[in-house]
Amino acid sequence: MRWIGLGLLILSSLVAAFVPIVRPDIQAAPERLTVQPLFSLPVLGEVYLTNTLVMLVVVDLVMLGAAWLVNRGLRREGLAAKGVGGILIFALNAMYGFTENVAGKWTKKVFPWFATLTMLILFANWIELIPGVDSIGILRQSAEGTPVQVLIPGVLATVTTAGGSGSFELFPFLRGPSTDINFTLGLALVAMTVTQIVGLRVRGFGYLKKFFNVSQIFKKPFLGVMDFLVGLLELVGEISKVISFTFRLFGSIFAGMVLVVLTGALVPVLGQSLMLIFEFAMGMIQALVFGMLTIIFMTQAMGEGHDEKTDEAPETPDGTKNALDPATMASQAERS
Amino acid sequence: MIQGDIVQAARYIGAGLAMMGAIGAGIGIGLSVQGAMHGMSRNPDAYSNLFTNMILGVAFSEAVAIYCLVISFVILFVA
Repeated sequence: MRWIGLGLLILSSLVAAFVPIVRPDIQAAPERLTVQPLFSLPVLGEVYLTNTLVMLVVVDLVMLGAAWLVNRGLRREGLAAKGVGGILIFALNAMYGFTENVAGKWTKKVFPWFATLTMLILFANWIELIPGVDSIGILRQSAEGTPVQVLIPGVLATVTTAGGSGSFELFPFLRGPSTDINFTLGLALVAMTVTQIVGLRVRGFGYLKKFFNVSQIFKKPFLGVMDFLVGLLELVGEISKVISFTFRLFGSIFAGMVLVVLTGALVPVLGQSLMLIFEFAMGMIQALVFGMLTIIFMTQAMGEGHDEKTDEAPETPDGTKNALDPATMASQAERS
Repeated sequence: MIQGDIVQAARYIGAGLAMMGAIGAGIGIGLSVQGAMHGMSRNPDAYSNLFTNMILGVAFSEAVAIYCLVISFVILFVA
């Protein structure tokens, strides 16, 4: 393994010596791969094929492949499967335990949303670390581009500053989906909408009492009006949660992509590897934070997950209860 | 007289000034890690519990710094 690493290091030093690396063009909006739009919607405008959309399809295929591997591992070997399926089974078990810790009795309702969102964002964050993403793409003529050196005429060219000709701009074929505000905004809207729906389903229309709090308005007028205004602020808070979800994920992954690309341009030989390690950890942390916040908001919408009844210790097999356990002591105290 | 592209220069200055909000995030992360360190040193058994909650708190504080970074990128990279 270490010889592979050494070989790659020597290869990258040789490439960095002969091909001058140029600072790439980064833009916040995803780049369009086709010049013509795919179709036009009447109100929303035109829909183009962007590189993040292509990458999202790739992420979906990777997730389907992972699900197939888990299924195969479960069917052949059971819960202690080996290989990639086994790792994913272990990860899902760990996530279920974590959800139980936070959500208590609402675990069964919350876990599918948490696991899907976390796995999707995890794969979407990690897939942009693969070499080739953000660097291989179409070159188009543009006024503010950089010169290009042609390696294979018509097919392959390198963007370079020395000894090239013309003025071209690079549009990468693939770009990580989390660097697109459309993706993160969509996920944030899904998460917050499902929170409201789940809260309405469990608590009925009493859920709206959290926002329109008119219970105290006639008994104690001054405090009642303040409670009402605080309820309206909660409504604004829900919208701010959507915005915070969107920009937390977009900002960290986009900033990570910019840093990876820029350190690759400035320190060609080893600089980018350190940034890739940091991005790996950051992608995982951001996916977990998105999922954790979804659990917490859903649990708050449905009502408290932990209360004394659900946390009671199970009965011992021969029917006698443990004398020192709090539930038994409480029921003893009630009887006497 | 200032020569050159003033609008581009103003973009660079704005992007730099927008990042001053990261001071608050740095202080916030330092405080939460301080709390976690105190807890871990008093009770080494609670290490994993404290570590998980510390990472959660760090991600929240960092989100504010990332909002500043997003504004800075919008100033720099959106035409």
